[in-house]
Amino acid sequence: MAQSGKGRLNYRCPSCFLRDIDMDMFYDKDKDEYYCLRCQYRGNEADVLAKNELARFRYRAMYERFDFDV
Amino acid sequence: MDRFIVNIIHRPEMVPEYAVKVTGHGKAEDLGRKALLTESLDIFKTQQACAHKNGLKTTIQMTYASLFNDEAVALAKQHHEEFGDEIGLTLLGLPCEQFRQKYKTKDFCIWMFSMEDKKAIVRDVFEKFHDAFGFYPESTGSYYMDAELINFIKAEYPSVKCAVATCWEEGPKAYHTCNNSWYTFMDGGPWAPWIPSKANTHAPAANEAEDSGIVAIPHLSRDLLACYDGNGSNFGTHPQNVLRGMIYNTKTWEYPYLYNLIDQYRSLAKYNNGYAYNMMFVGPGWMNKMGRWEQPYELLLKSYEDGCAYYGKLKKEGKLVDMTMAEFADYYRETKHYTEPECALWRDILYGSDKQLFWYCDPYMRACVNMDQGGAIVDLRPYAAKLEWPVGIGTPHIQDASYPFLIQEKYRAGYFTHYAGEGTVRSAKVCYKGEEIDLCLCRTKAQFSQQGEDRILTLDPVELVFADGLKVRLQTIITFAEGSSSIRFDRKILSMSDPDAEITIKEYLVACYGTTEYTEDMSSLRLHIDEEELSYEYKCRELIREGAEEIDCVIPPIKTRVSMLANGRNKIGFVREGYAFSPMFTLGYERNLKETEVFTTWLNLERAD
Repeated sequence: MAQSGKGRLNYRCPSCFLRDIDMDMFYDKDKDEYYCLRCQYRGNEADVLAKNELARFRYRAMYERFDFDV
Repeated sequence: MDRFIVNIIHRPEMVPEYAVKVTGHGKAEDLGRKALLTESLDIFKTQQACAHKNGLKTTIQMTYASLFNDEAVALAKQHHEEFGDEIGLTLLGLPCEQFRQKYKTKDFCIWMFSMEDKKAIVRDVFEKFHDAFGFYPESTGSYYMDAELINFIKAEYPSVKCAVATCWEEGPKAYHTCNNSWYTFMDGGPWAPWIPSKANTHAPAANEAEDSGIVAIPHLSRDLLACYDGNGSNFGTHPQNVLRGMIYNTKTWEYPYLYNLIDQYRSLAKYNNGYAYNMMFVGPGWMNKMGRWEQPYELLLKSYEDGCAYYGKLKKEGKLVDMTMAEFADYYRETKHYTEPECALWRDILYGSDKQLFWYCDPYMRACVNMDQGGAIVDLRPYAAKLEWPVGIGTPHIQDASYPFLIQEKYRAGYFTHYAGEGTVRSAKVCYKGEEIDLCLCRTKAQFSQQGEDRILTLDPVELVFADGLKVRLQTIITFAEGSSSIRFDRKILSMSDPDAEITIKEYLVACYGTTEYTEDMSSLRLHIDEEELSYEYKCRELIREGAEEIDCVIPPIKTRVSMLANGRNKIGFVREGYAFSPMFTLGYERNLKETEVFTTWLNLERAD
């Protein structure tokens, strides 16, 4: 098994992101999966993207536009 | 008429750190790689084009590396002529082959070098700039500029009038976000421009004698709620930081949060005599052709184009004035006076919580009032001490440039909810028949007003309900009197369901000192009630005195004395020492009150020696 490298994009670990840690993941070409060096997360690109959506649960107003002139 | 000013700053950083470390993954480090230099300059050109296309002038902050590049120098001259851009000089972007060969180090943060090296580097960089342009710059900066560095630059190069001098609340939180590898510890500073004192960059000057001679601006305009709780680098007027925080729609590539942030800053004019400020400063590493984290280059570029377009739109609508850094420094000195505070009644624009904070900053303190906790003070920095705090190699604080806190609700628990210990906070408890209700549990909102020299925060009344049915309507008013180094708290009993009832209010401050999440040695602290002293020995002792005139704590490691005064009949002062599992101290006053009575207390800050 060859060493891991970077994938198409430099995905961060979604699990670590949820605890405010930007942890770059590495890509295992043989298994077609990204994995975190710090925690136990691993998943393919689709799973990373899906888990990134979970990270947005706290931004409940992220699509709102506020008026500060009132 | 309100004036909202923006500084847009670009730097031709020939060796962006992200490009070297991440997109260069798997390659041996080569700072002179031609592709790297070409791409870096292309990003700078793109950023400049984004601003100019939208009718915005910029401040070009030349890096040391770019001064060796003829094309970068020529571009700066051309854009100065054509667009009125200022040519300044940043102390960021030091890494390059020439720097490495000369200084034999991989350090790149100017404030972390020894003073001897700081002087050598400043002279080297400023003279190189002079060789390229024939004049010395009027603006400079870094992520942080320590006081000794600013004082040296001002003495050697008096043309400098403006500097990027801190990143707001970039400290342990940013360190953790980078998996404990990003050593920018600079919590506790102003979020908006200020005149740094000669003693400590974070503490604004109170008068001409304390004036360092420059106007400082923060690196980015950051979300005053989100940044205090989370990673500062996700929530600022830096479009790619917003992407870093994943605060965008992945399908439509929209990010209304960025515009809300800009607009909320614009709205701060109503608390600051019609003046508001924004700063955007995106390093080229954030617009890398290889993308950054999840974001492809196209999204990185779009976000920067959109950011500039929004500022451009505001300018066209007459709602924004773009200035260079030097122009802004002149404007700031013409319109602001030393003791004039910076105020921000800030609302949540991201989490949907309706939470409201009030931030106050002047030469004597920085304070945060949390309306979700009944007007408790949840952060307090005693600038009155003007604490000398040299940083860099050879000093006691090699990396830690933060201004120490007395209260920090994230690093020291705040209103305490855990099993054992205690948290730092300035609040009050309302007591009746053995029951205590802390105002921290009374969520409310506040209105801001200004009367003469006073900035007044009037909180909406809250209702307290005791077990036997007594209902108390109470209002808190917090007054910051300009130049007083004091915060006044008025607790008004508006009404009680039993008009003959008598309640007790305990005003208290739980505090300590520190710059990080970990406790410091409290052994040198001394608590007082009038002339009576209690030396801190972690013995959980308490002093109580009826009619106490003044109570205080002297904190020698940060040269600070914090004291409390109270008005009225039957006041009782108390001071409490902490213990090993709760390394805090408490100052407080209590008093009995009836309907319509008011309990007034003051929290005062001063230098201890």
